[in-house]
Amino acid sequence: MISRRISRARQIVLSTLSVLLLVLGYTWISHRQHQVNPEDTTIPNWSQLAEGAVKFTQPDRKGQRWLVEDSLATAKRLAAGISLGIVFGFMIGMSMGCITSLEAFLQPPISLLAKVPQTAALAVYFVFFGTGMEMYVAMISFGIIPTLAVTVYLAIKDIPSEMLDKAYTLGASHFEIAFEVVFKQVLPKFIDAVRLCIGPAIVFLIAAEMVVGDVGFGYRIRLQFKLTNMNVVYPYLVFLACFGFLLDYMLRFLQAKICPWYQNNSK
Amino acid sequence: MDYAFINYKMNNKNMNNKSWAVVFLSFALIALIGCGSGENTNSKQDIPTFSLAWSEYPSWSVFGVADLKGILNGKKGELGSVEEKWGVDIVLKEAEYDPCLAMYGAGQCDAVCITNMDVLSPAGGRPGVMVLPTSTSFGADACLVTSDIKSVEDLKGKKVFGLEKSVSEYCFVRNLELLGQKEGDFSFSNMDPGAAAVAMQQKNKDQEAIVVWNPFVISTLAKREDVRVLFDSTKIPNEIIDSVVVAKESLAKEGGEAFACAIIDAFYQVNSAIADPEKRDDTLISIGEKFANLTLKDMEKIVQQTKFYGTADEGAALLTGSDLPKIMDRVVDFCVSHGIVENKPALGYGAEGPDVSVRFDASYIQKVKEGSTKQNEK
Amino acid sequence: MKEDGHQDFSLQCQKVSHWFGETKVLFDLNLKVKAGQFVSLIGPSGCGKSTLLRAILGTHIPNEGQILTMQNGELISADRPGRDRGIVYQKYSLYPFLTALDNVALGLKLDQTSALFRLFNWSGWAKKRKNFRDRAAVFLEKVGLGHAMHMYPSQMSGGMQQRVAIAQALIMEPEIILLDEPFGALDEATREELQEMLLLLYQENQDAISKSQKPPYTLIIVTHELNEAIRVGDRLVGLSQYWNWEEAGHDSPPGATVVYDKPSPIFKPNERPDYESFENIRREIRSYVYNPDILQSRNEYLMTKLV
Repeated sequence: MISRRISRARQIVLSTLSVLLLVLGYTWISHRQHQVNPEDTTIPNWSQLAEGAVKFTQPDRKGQRWLVEDSLATAKRLAAGISLGIVFGFMIGMSMGCITSLEAFLQPPISLLAKVPQTAALAVYFVFFGTGMEMYVAMISFGIIPTLAVTVYLAIKDIPSEMLDKAYTLGASHFEIAFEVVFKQVLPKFIDAVRLCIGPAIVFLIAAEMVVGDVGFGYRIRLQFKLTNMNVVYPYLVFLACFGFLLDYMLRFLQAKICPWYQNNSK
Repeated sequence: MDYAFINYKMNNKNMNNKSWAVVFLSFALIALIGCGSGENTNSKQDIPTFSLAWSEYPSWSVFGVADLKGILNGKKGELGSVEEKWGVDIVLKEAEYDPCLAMYGAGQCDAVCITNMDVLSPAGGRPGVMVLPTSTSFGADACLVTSDIKSVEDLKGKKVFGLEKSVSEYCFVRNLELLGQKEGDFSFSNMDPGAAAVAMQQKNKDQEAIVVWNPFVISTLAKREDVRVLFDSTKIPNEIIDSVVVAKESLAKEGGEAFACAIIDAFYQVNSAIADPEKRDDTLISIGEKFANLTLKDMEKIVQQTKFYGTADEGAALLTGSDLPKIMDRVVDFCVSHGIVENKPALGYGAEGPDVSVRFDASYIQKVKEGSTKQNEK
Repeated sequence: MKEDGHQDFSLQCQKVSHWFGETKVLFDLNLKVKAGQFVSLIGPSGCGKSTLLRAILGTHIPNEGQILTMQNGELISADRPGRDRGIVYQKYSLYPFLTALDNVALGLKLDQTSALFRLFNWSGWAKKRKNFRDRAAVFLEKVGLGHAMHMYPSQMSGGMQQRVAIAQALIMEPEIILLDEPFGALDEATREELQEMLLLLYQENQDAISKSQKPPYTLIIVTHELNEAIRVGDRLVGLSQYWNWEEAGHDSPPGATVVYDKPSPIFKPNERPDYESFENIRREIRSYVYNPDILQSRNEYLMTKLV
C-alpha cells in the first residue's frame, strides 16, 4: 500500500539507519581510496577529518580561528543582503500589487533582473559596487528582490476581490486596506518565499566570496579545494547545509508564530 | 482461517524483506560508487590511454594548438601524429587552472599543466614527475599600481589584491624580499586575478594595487594609461616555472613513459613552428586564439614575458641545472610558511632516487631528443 | 442627486442598464426598496443578479442609469462601496487571518479609528479595541456563536462562517445589507437554521414598526432557492431575460429586467413552513421569471407592479 503510515519508532529507526549507512559507505570508500594511495587527501578518512577539524577550530598562524571568522563574515554578509532584499522586495511587490500604474512601470526591470543569473553578472557587481560589503549586499539583495517582489505581487493579485470590496463596506480607507487586509493576507506567502530565497542567496554569496575576499565560507572552500584539503572542504559544506537548515527552521517558527492561521504551514 | 492468518504473516514478512532489500541495494550502490572513484578510466584497447589536463596560458595553450594542427588528437580513440609515433592515445582535458589542479589531485587525469609552486600541494597526495618545463615567467606576473603609488613604500597601508597562496603572492613576497622589505608591513588581500584586473580597469577606488598574471597584466596596462608595473617576475627569473607534471603512478603503467615522451614531442614540434619564420605568425595567432583570444601583436609581447623553453636542450638544461634545487628550496619555504603545504615535501632531481613527492627528471626529454635525432638520421 | 419626499427608501435603482462589450446584461431596471424590506432577488442563471448586486454595492458602476442609496441621511449616487451598504458573500466571506471576534470587530476598528491613531496612541487604542471586541461578542452571541469567538475561519464550518459574516455586516448597522447567495454552499439543514436567523431579524423589524421606529434591517438577498426566497423575503423580485423585448421594439435581447415584483408571505421564526402551501407562488414565479417560453410583456408588468 502506498503511503501507508508506519510507527514513529520505525521512522526513527529507518532514518538513523540511512545516516549510519551513509557514514559507513563513506568510510568504506575512503578506506579503499587510501589503500590505492595512502597519501590521498581527496576522500579523507576519519583521522584526516579530525585533523581538518583541528585546522579550522584552532587558531592559525595569524591567530584566527577559521570556522569562527568565516561564519561571522558570511553570516554578516548574508544577513545584510537578505534584510535589504526582504525590505525592498516587499515594498516593491506591495506597490506593484496595489497600484496598477506602478505595476506596469516596474514590470520590465523586475522581469529582467529576475532572468539575469546573478553568478554570471558577478563582474557587473564588481564594477558598480567595488569589492567590499556593499558588493555582497547588492548581489544578494538584487538576486532575491525579483522573486520576493513577484511573490508579493502575485499574492496580492490572488486576493479575492470580495475581501477588498467588503473592507470598503466596513469603512476602510485605501491605506487601511493595504495594511490591514493585503499585508496580513500576503505575509505568510511572503515568508514562504523568503525561505525559498535563502538557498539562492547563499549560492550568490558563496560565488562572490570565491572570487574576492579573504574571509568567509566561499573563500575558505575555494582555497582549501585548491590545496586539495578536502578534510576542510567537506565539513564546511556540511556546516553550510546546517546553516541553511537553521535559517529555514527559524523562518518556519516565525511564520507559525505570526500567522497561526495559515493552513499551508507544514510541520 | 489459519490460511488467512498465514497469508497475513507472510505479507508482513514480505514488507520486511522489501525494506531490507532497499537497504542492501543502497549499500551496494554506495559500494559501486566507491569502486568507480579510485580508478582511471582506462579502456581496454590495444593502445594505452592517458589524459592531460591543461588550462589557457601561453605555453600551455600550445597543446590546444597541437590538437588543432593534428599533432595531438585530444579526443579519446583518435590519434594524432605524435600519438601514433609513440603508440599512446592522449586525451586532452581543458579546464580552468584551479579545476585542473583539483583533477590532478583527485586522480582524474594522468598529467597536468602546472607551476612548480602549485604542484607541491597535490603532490603530497599524489607524487609526480616534472617531465617538461614549458616556460618561465619573465614579466608575466606583475604588480600593477596606480599613479598614486610612487614606490613600494606607498604600498604600506594599502591593500594589494591578488590570488592568495598562488604564484602572484609568491612574486609579490619575493620582490619585497629583494627590495629589503618585510612582508608583515604589507597587506595582501585575496581576489581572483581576473576580477582584480577588471576592477582596476574600471577605476575602482579599492583596487590601487594588484598582482596578476597574463593576460590580465597586458589588458590592464592597455586599458589604463595611469597604471604601471611596480615590480614583476623579471626580478625573479626562472623561479616561477610552468611545466607539465605526470603522476608517478601513471608513468609506472604500461605506455606511461611513451605518454610523457609524446607530450614533450608535441610541445617541441609546435615550438619549432614558432621558431620557423614562415610558420611563426600563424602559430602565434593560433596560440593567441586558444589563450584569451589575443591578437598577434599581443602575442608577440606575451612571448617576451613568458619565456618559452622551446627546445629539448633548453628544457633539459633547466631541469638539470644547479640553480633548480636552490629555487625549489625557496619555493618550498614560501609554501610552508604560508600554509600551502603542511610539511616540507621531499624533492628529487634526476632520473633515479628515493621516493619523493616531486621529481625533476630530464630523461624523458632526452628520450625525445634521441628519438628525433634517430628520425632525422633516417 | 437628491430625491425629496422619499425618505423611506433605502435604495432606488433608476433605469439601470449594463453591458460587457457585446453582452448585454441589464436593461432599464427600476427598483425601489423601502427601509425594513427583505427583498428576495431571484432569477434564472446568468440573468445579472450578481451584476445588479455589485452595481448597488458600488464596485461596478452601471453603464446607464443611476443607483441611489441612503448615505448619511441623503439619497446619493452609489459610485463606490461604503459603510452604508453591507455585503455577505457566498465564498471568501471572512478574513482568514482574523478570529471570529476580530472579524466582526473589524468594521468598528476600520470605521471608527484611523491607522495613525492605532499606531501612535497605544493605550487609547487598547481601550477602544476592548470596547469593540465586547460589542462584537454581543453580535456573535446574537448569531449563536458566542462559543466560537476565538476560532479562525479555517476551524469553522461553512454555516458558522456565514453566521460570522452576517454578524460582521450587522455590527456596522448599514442602511441595507446585500447577501449574494449566502447559503448556496451549505447543506439543507444549516441553510434552514440560517434562514431562521434572518427571520429573527425580520421580527425585530416588525417590533420596531409597531413602536413607530425605523426598522433596523433592510436586506436584499439573492438566491437560487425558491423556497428560501419565499421564506426569508417579504417581497419577491424576479429578474429575468425572458421577457417580450421584441414587442418593446428591440432587435436583439437588450438584457434582463424586473419582470416580477410581488409581496411574499411572512413567516415567523420557529414556524415550520408548509412548502406545499405556496406551490402556486412557485408556479407563478417559474412561469414568469424562469420559463424562457413565457415572455411577459413589459407593459403588462409595469402596470401590475407594486411600489
